Amino acid sequence: MAFRIEKQKTTSTPYVLIDEEKSYMKLEGRCFHEKVAEFFKDVNDWLDSYLASNFSLFTFDCKIDYFNSSTTKLLLNMLLKMDKHASADKKIIVNWITTQNNSIIIECGEDFKEDMNNLEFNLVIKYDVNHFLR
Amino acid sequence: MAQFNIRQYNEMLDSNSIKVIYSGPIWSSGIDGIAEMLLKRLEFDDISLNASQAVFSIFVEQMNNIMMYSADKERKTSSEGDSLEVSKGIFILGIKDAKYFIQCGNVVTEYSAQILKTRIDHLNTLDKKGLRQYYKQQLHAENDNPESKGAGIGLIEIARRASAPIEYKLEPYSEGLHYFTMYITVQQGGNE
Repeated sequence: MAFRIEKQKTTSTPYVLIDEEKSYMKLEGRCFHEKVAEFFKDVNDWLDSYLASNFSLFTFDCKIDYFNSSTTKLLLNMLLKMDKHASADKKIIVNWITTQNNSIIIECGEDFKEDMNNLEFNLVIKYDVNHFLR
Repeated sequence: MAQFNIRQYNEMLDSNSIKVIYSGPIWSSGIDGIAEMLLKRLEFDDISLNASQAVFSIFVEQMNNIMMYSADKERKTSSEGDSLEVSKGIFILGIKDAKYFIQCGNVVTEYSAQILKTRIDHLNTLDKKGLRQYYKQQLHAENDNPESKGAGIGLIEIARRASAPIEYKLEPYSEGLHYFTMYITVQQGGNE
């Protein structure tokens, strides 16, 4: 059976969805959990085995309104791992989704994009209300 | 023993324009409770997203810093066998002249004091562009070193979000220890 994880968001952790059947992963909300590596352990474990498998297209929607410095490190690590596995046969699309007034996340997306060589990294800037505080 | 004068204390906070104060245990298991309170305050203030994010980000990294560097710690093992660590620290948020000021304090060892001093002094020589580059560079350096707990980038994050250089003080506390305070301001209109 295809792997699936769905975790609802909390004050310090984002909504997480992995739907292997659809080759899809999504993060949404805030992330500043003290033990972020522990929180993302199952996601990372799955990602390792999935990236090594034969897939043709994988999409990751990352819509995080705020994350702390340890999470930045973890996200970069995750993206570098995806980038290493991406190729013409294994296409990976990352949509970095934020709002036009969220300059912190936009800057971070620009910096991450520069580090990506093989995957498609889209900076998606929406013109709507940011929910960082909620 | 005379009772602690809470009214006087409250008036002192008011006269110094202090809106939020937290003093006490900072749990390694999470800061969700204090964070919720701060998010509510920022929502109430209704300032630019830029400024509220800057204040919140500085708060989160300061809490992390206290947990990492505080020399005033208690440890115990929970009934489930998880190791819990409590650090003692203080955090203040105030508003003065359309600026937020964020202050935190904790006890540090001589060793940590030297690290903090070297790192902050260096950060204060960089402008916003330089800080962005340095952050990126350190992020990659730490990515190559899985043992690192990420203390370096937390401080850079604070410097990036601050509207002015980081002000800090290291005062002698007791044998081999210092009291570390950090003072940071954020323009209510945001940095740009």
